Amino acid sequence: MTPRPIEVLLDRDDPVYQPGDELAGQFLVVPTDDLALKAIELSVLWHTEGKGDEDIGVHFFERYDTQDNDNNSDLLRPIRFQTRLPASPLSYEGSILKIKWLVRVRVYPKRGEQLLAEEPFRLGGVPPVADWAG
Amino acid sequence: MLGSVGEALFFGIFLCMGLVAFVVMMVLLVVPEWRANRQFSATQCTVLATSIAESETDDSKVYRPDVKIEYTVAGRKYVTTTYDAVRVYSSGRHHAERAIEKFQVGKQYVCWYDPFNPDQAVLVRGYNAWMYLLLLVPASFIAIGGGGLIYTAWHWGASAERRASLSKQAAKLDVLREKTGGTPLPNVPSPVDAHSSEGTRLAYRLPIATTPGWQLFVIFIMCLFWNGITSVFVVLAVQSHLRGRPEWFLTLFIIPFVLVGLGLIYFLLRELLITTGIGPTRLECSHYPLEPGQECELLLIQAGRLSMNSLIVELACDEQVSYRQGTDTRTETKRVFSQNLFRHEGFAIDPAAPFEHQWSLVIPELAMHSFKSPNNEVKWKLVVEGDVANWPNFRREYPLIVVPTGTLADAPAAEAAR
Repeated sequence: MTPRPIEVLLDRDDPVYQPGDELAGQFLVVPTDDLALKAIELSVLWHTEGKGDEDIGVHFFERYDTQDNDNNSDLLRPIRFQTRLPASPLSYEGSILKIKWLVRVRVYPKRGEQLLAEEPFRLGGVPPVADWAG
Repeated sequence: MLGSVGEALFFGIFLCMGLVAFVVMMVLLVVPEWRANRQFSATQCTVLATSIAESETDDSKVYRPDVKIEYTVAGRKYVTTTYDAVRVYSSGRHHAERAIEKFQVGKQYVCWYDPFNPDQAVLVRGYNAWMYLLLLVPASFIAIGGGGLIYTAWHWGASAERRASLSKQAAKLDVLREKTGGTPLPNVPSPVDAHSSEGTRLAYRLPIATTPGWQLFVIFIMCLFWNGITSVFVVLAVQSHLRGRPEWFLTLFIIPFVLVGLGLIYFLLRELLITTGIGPTRLECSHYPLEPGQECELLLIQAGRLSMNSLIVELACDEQVSYRQGTDTRTETKRVFSQNLFRHEGFAIDPAAPFEHQWSLVIPELAMHSFKSPNNEVKWKLVVEGDVANWPNFRREYPLIVVPTGTLADAPAAEAAR
């Protein structure tokens, strides 16, 4: 099994958070011989899925540019993050619209394609629409 | 990537065209006029001759006034043919004729010469408003091209998250801080309309989704526009029949347009009857915005002189999404929740005594809150439907704002603190 190039770990095992909760965790870009990094972006965001065009809302954003041009040692270590989650929008599973929250790590290598890793979580306790709308 | 290059090229060409046209207009028109008004020196000149210069364009002639003058600067005589600073031709010969009528050969007039180049002089000064309006053309090219290039550069190489993050910082969130005790509610629509309108018996009067007057006005304009154009072709078709040489193709071609026009007239009359014949519907509530599981009092007031077959109030939640398909933007709405709150049948409403009914409303405890983003929405609303005897039925919608559970908990404390 090939190791994942980016590991994203949330501190809590339960992926359900409530508004105002603190979301904390860390990510690690797994070092490889030929990996030279330019920057890493971390986002805590919601996005829509379904029939409509995708909308995206970024709650927390951090960009890490390498300061060490020789061996990226500043970026090739576990990096912690934490943010207090907002009151809305809550995670939602509707009929033609879904709202999903996730932590996204985007890695910009000096050469080659971007790398991406996502860790989903739920905000709030709204059940799927079929459960409350009948 | 290719798309971005294409976009950049497109907007770049637009910008270049605008800049070139702008510079040319500035150099040939604006700067000479400005210099003549601000920098030229006055002196006396003698008119030697007047004439009208002609130039031919593709399909017509254009004219400009020419006045030959003689004047002296620093002891040296100059002879030049001039009129104003920009020396442009125009299509009306009479304008040029009127211009040279003011100058008689042999007489002296004031002229203004260029102190840096005394060869150049003008007899008429002033600013041409049309020329400055014309500058809007290259300016719009520059705005579109420049704006497009900035937009392309903004999107070039930046991730969607980074762009969204920068946009969020740029635009402060307009959220329900006041009513929610300072808790910001991103992507929940603001209930500002209801807050600004107090109810007569309950705290808030709910705003209607579309004001009947505006709806009527829009339909009226559409009706006028459509039928105005169609009537031109109808007159042509009727005239051909009256002349005895009927235009059958035109006659058949305009039939569907006439039918649509008649449909619009029917719709306009129907809306007119509803707006004028059915009194206003008011909905008032004791709390606003609402939370899932929270109970609030609701009051319906229906005015007018009406014989009602039925009056229904429904609580509804819709998902509304829009998506692009080719060059079209389509909108789809799906009703995910619907509950009949009230139904009353077979009754009359008198203008002196509007119909009133008050009852309790509870948003389902586990329901989703109102949500709005550019392409996706969760919309709560109250729908009032009236079936009126011998009159068109009506339907009026009142948006409700539902906030996430627990958001309003701090509101009383916050209000007290204020």
